Amino acid sequence: MSTNSIALRLSGMFALVALLVFMLIGWALYLQVDKGLGLLPEAEVDARYSVLESAVQRYGTPEHWAKINTKLKLLSEEDKRLRFWVVSDNPTYEFGNPDAEIRAFAKGPLGMRDLNLSGHEYPFKVLVSQFPAKDQRPPLRFLTAVDTETFWQTQHSLLVALISLAAIGILLASALGYWVARIGLKPLTELSLEARKLTPPRLSGRLKLSPLPPELDQFVTSFNSTLDRVEQAYSRLESFNADVAHELRSPLTNLIGQTQVALTRGRSAEHYFEVLQSNLEELERLRSIINDMLFLASADQGSKATQLTQASLAQEVAKTLDYLDFIMEDAQVQVEVRGDANAPIETAHLRRALINLLHNAVQHTSPGQLIQVDIRDEGDHVSIGVTNPGAPIAGEHLPKLFERFYRVDASRSNSGANHGLGLAIVKAIALMHGGTVFVRSEHGVNTFGINLPS
Amino acid sequence: MRVLIIEDEEKTADYLHRGLTEQGYTTDVAREGIEGLHMALESEYAVIILDVMLPGLDGYGVLRALRARKQTPVIMLTARENVDDRIRGLREGADDYLGKPFSFLELVARLQALTRRSGGHEPVQISVADLWIDLISRKAMRGGVRLDLTAKEFSLLSVLARRQGEILSKTSIAEMVWDVNFDSDANVVEVAIKRLRAKLDGPFEQKLLHTIRGMGYVLESRRVD
Repeated sequence: MSTNSIALRLSGMFALVALLVFMLIGWALYLQVDKGLGLLPEAEVDARYSVLESAVQRYGTPEHWAKINTKLKLLSEEDKRLRFWVVSDNPTYEFGNPDAEIRAFAKGPLGMRDLNLSGHEYPFKVLVSQFPAKDQRPPLRFLTAVDTETFWQTQHSLLVALISLAAIGILLASALGYWVARIGLKPLTELSLEARKLTPPRLSGRLKLSPLPPELDQFVTSFNSTLDRVEQAYSRLESFNADVAHELRSPLTNLIGQTQVALTRGRSAEHYFEVLQSNLEELERLRSIINDMLFLASADQGSKATQLTQASLAQEVAKTLDYLDFIMEDAQVQVEVRGDANAPIETAHLRRALINLLHNAVQHTSPGQLIQVDIRDEGDHVSIGVTNPGAPIAGEHLPKLFERFYRVDASRSNSGANHGLGLAIVKAIALMHGGTVFVRSEHGVNTFGINLPS
Repeated sequence: MRVLIIEDEEKTADYLHRGLTEQGYTTDVAREGIEGLHMALESEYAVIILDVMLPGLDGYGVLRALRARKQTPVIMLTARENVDDRIRGLREGADDYLGKPFSFLELVARLQALTRRSGGHEPVQISVADLWIDLISRKAMRGGVRLDLTAKEFSLLSVLARRQGEILSKTSIAEMVWDVNFDSDANVVEVAIKRLRAKLDGPFEQKLLHTIRGMGYVLESRRVD
């Protein structure tokens, strides 16, 4: 199902987008919180210290010091994260049983420092401050410490929470995305169901435009116009096949019929001779139709004129007129050629097209009238137009005149050599040269012509 | 003159054999490619008529193998008439090419053209009964009277006279006189023949220009019955 795959793809894309958004936001959030968390231990240490600072500074006797001891003990029991150490030369004025490790650390520089105690996973944030001697008290170093474990743990759990929230968000986004895409694609599903009903025997059906979202309008319009063209081609092909069958049927009927009649009883040699001659005429007609059909078919299959030579079109027209000379004399029509242009052409093909165009004009021109051949250089192409005075052709016929077997007068019989492919061959030759054909009917003259790339 | 026909289609091979024999050729027939190639290589032929679609070895294969050793003129026949086939056949050494359906007269004309090419010269004066034609000065006389012919009419007459006694199809007449080698709806040849006939035979008892229905025209002196 094509619709499913679009929905799946969309939901996948939603998931990707969600992943990206969550990663960005999560990362920014994490950085921000991390920065805040990093400052917290220091602030805590500062706060604790500022409360104690003046007392430590003031008290210089053992009695007073005992008060400080009690206070420190209380504070560190109250908050397990807090540690205090006091290091001095006199053990009376010490606190927290500083061991060698602490003493060594206390001798280091003053200020905020990190202390890694052996057997403790996370470092302590320690403010090392110094107090000068006071009364009986020797100078001492005062260490206010906060265990950073909880901060690290908070940070860690934040990370875990962010990642799992993001994962849930992504899952949710893709699931919702799939659902939304299914809903959004519903018109498309309906459209494809509708399109599935349009199969060759029912080419006349079209997709409905009305209930569709505007995004699909254009698609449906172009789909429908493609269907129009397919239907036209289809019906042309059908009528073409019927025409071919019809064109072949009448000579075949004659052939079969007169041969059967001739054979039903003994005839004179003269009679057989005549039948054979008549048969030959019909067969020649068949041959000519088949050759023309093959020519048209090869043009249809995209066969191109290959042996192109640059030639003067006026000269080609002159040669054609030379060929048609007797016919024109019999029909008592004159031809006037105006202009000239050069174009790359395959001369045999173009000659054929010109003969058909001119012969068509001669057939539709009354005695004493003039046929005009206009050769024009139009820049990117050259045009040869053959104009003859004649009855106006109705607009509905004009675009179809170059189609195979098309006749304005459907009842006109097709006896003789003219089997209705002449103008179709002109069109095929134009196509083989990468050109086009044109027809106009105005002001009492009809023009049939060919455009060739120059 | 010996002609080899390599053609698997029985009816085609038979009528070609009979027709060409009646035209005075000695004809051999091969029904498949390898046999045909063998015959073409073993014996001397004036012309070989070669079908493209053959069982065993196809026409192109026969042609290639033949050209490797011999330059016997070859006319190719094919039912698939498209430009590529034509170009391919000619490139691989065929001397001429006919697409089915072709007319027998056309084939005979091509055959004669191929055999004539290799020798002989064109006459400058031709006479048929009391008709006398000078091809150099382009004059025609009948019974001592000069015929008043246009240039095209004279070309038509000389084409017919050069092949006197030979039936010429409309297509080959159009090709020889106007260089138009395709069928067209315009019945130019018929009209031209009618005009020529009026001047050539009109005033005379003995008719020289004859119509063979469905085939074409022939210029010859026939006994008056």
